[in-house]
Amino acid sequence: MAKDHEPNEDFSDLELIARWRAGDERAATSLVARHAPALARFAMSLGQRSDVEEVVQDTFVRAFGSIESFRADSSLRTWLFTIERRLILDRRRGDRRRRDDAAIDDGDAATQFDALDGLVAEEAEARVRMAVDRLSRLQREVFLLRVNEGLSYKEIAEVVGSTEGAARVHYHNAMRAVKESLYV
Amino acid sequence: MFDCANVEIRELLPELVAGRVDASTRARLEAHVRSCPECASELEALRLVRDAFASAPLIDTHRIVAALPKPPAPVTIRPGQPASVNRWVGWRAAAALTMITIGGLSVAVSRRFGEGGAESTQIDSTVVIALPESAGTTAIDTPARSGGESTATSGQHPAPRSVTKAELSFNGGVGDLDDASIQALLGALDEIDRAPVAPSAEPDRSSVLPVIKGDDR
Repeated sequence: MAKDHEPNEDFSDLELIARWRAGDERAATSLVARHAPALARFAMSLGQRSDVEEVVQDTFVRAFGSIESFRADSSLRTWLFTIERRLILDRRRGDRRRRDDAAIDDGDAATQFDALDGLVAEEAEARVRMAVDRLSRLQREVFLLRVNEGLSYKEIAEVVGSTEGAARVHYHNAMRAVKESLYV
Repeated sequence: MFDCANVEIRELLPELVAGRVDASTRARLEAHVRSCPECASELEALRLVRDAFASAPLIDTHRIVAALPKPPAPVTIRPGQPASVNRWVGWRAAAALTMITIGGLSVAVSRRFGEGGAESTQIDSTVVIALPESAGTTAIDTPARSGGESTATSGQHPAPRSVTKAELSFNGGVGDLDDASIQALLGALDEIDRAPVAPSAEPDRSSVLPVIKGDDR
């Protein structure tokens, strides 16, 4: 699979977008291969346990359908995260309406992650997972975007629709909670 | 549990875990962590988080790409015709049409205001030349005034016994006159030159006066 898009591997995201707009469909393959794993991780960090690939696909379809609105003020990955987050929240609202049930709140995600505990070999990792699951949804999003993706507070604020200062506070609160779960 | 007081280092730890720092920053951070137990424990926690959440389901890239919208169609140009020609033909046609329209409007406006302007500024080209008795009076009149209305004012001179009229019709300047009219005008002027000087001691100011229509001013 990787060999299909090797010639485009050295191009930046903006160059690949330009090539795709010029008719090079292999540029789209490179962009998807480059960002899909991070989008899948982010979807899971938002509590998305099923249909992760479908969410990732919908994210790319929506992004490529409105690629002219991407202004490169932020990175492409940040923009994709923003789209994916909105998609997941919309899905949850739809599910909530259909089920006429309670919203997937902060506790629901923890319950979903609990099911994975058996798959986690090391105890420390399980404790970390539990600690992250107990975070509020916004804290969890901010924390995992910072740790797993290395996004800056500015980029995180763009994704979650908050401010840099708020993102910083959420990160440090989450960090304290995770350390307490490990060392206290 | 305490936190390290070096805020800058603490802020860079998650970027170290995500691999988003350059080599020199990485070396600086690792040197600090070796001597700081607080940062060491924080870095360990961050790495555990990364490992716990780094796994992601395998994504079928080709299936996603197949579902993507097609890229916008590239611009097609007819063979042998550069793209710039297509663009400039339209502009040139528009410019030509604009110039024709402006030109037509200018002619229409100039005709309309030209007629009005002529009325407002037209000088009745009636030239009344009072000649001595022997020479008579020559009046040059325009068609705007009937010949009967053209009155010769001879001032203090007695009414001429005979009047010679050279009637010229022209609108506008002398340049508009045809050859015959100019010849007639020159002849009349020659006749004036040949006439003897009037016996009046005071010059007759009314001898050559353009009469301007009062209602035209």
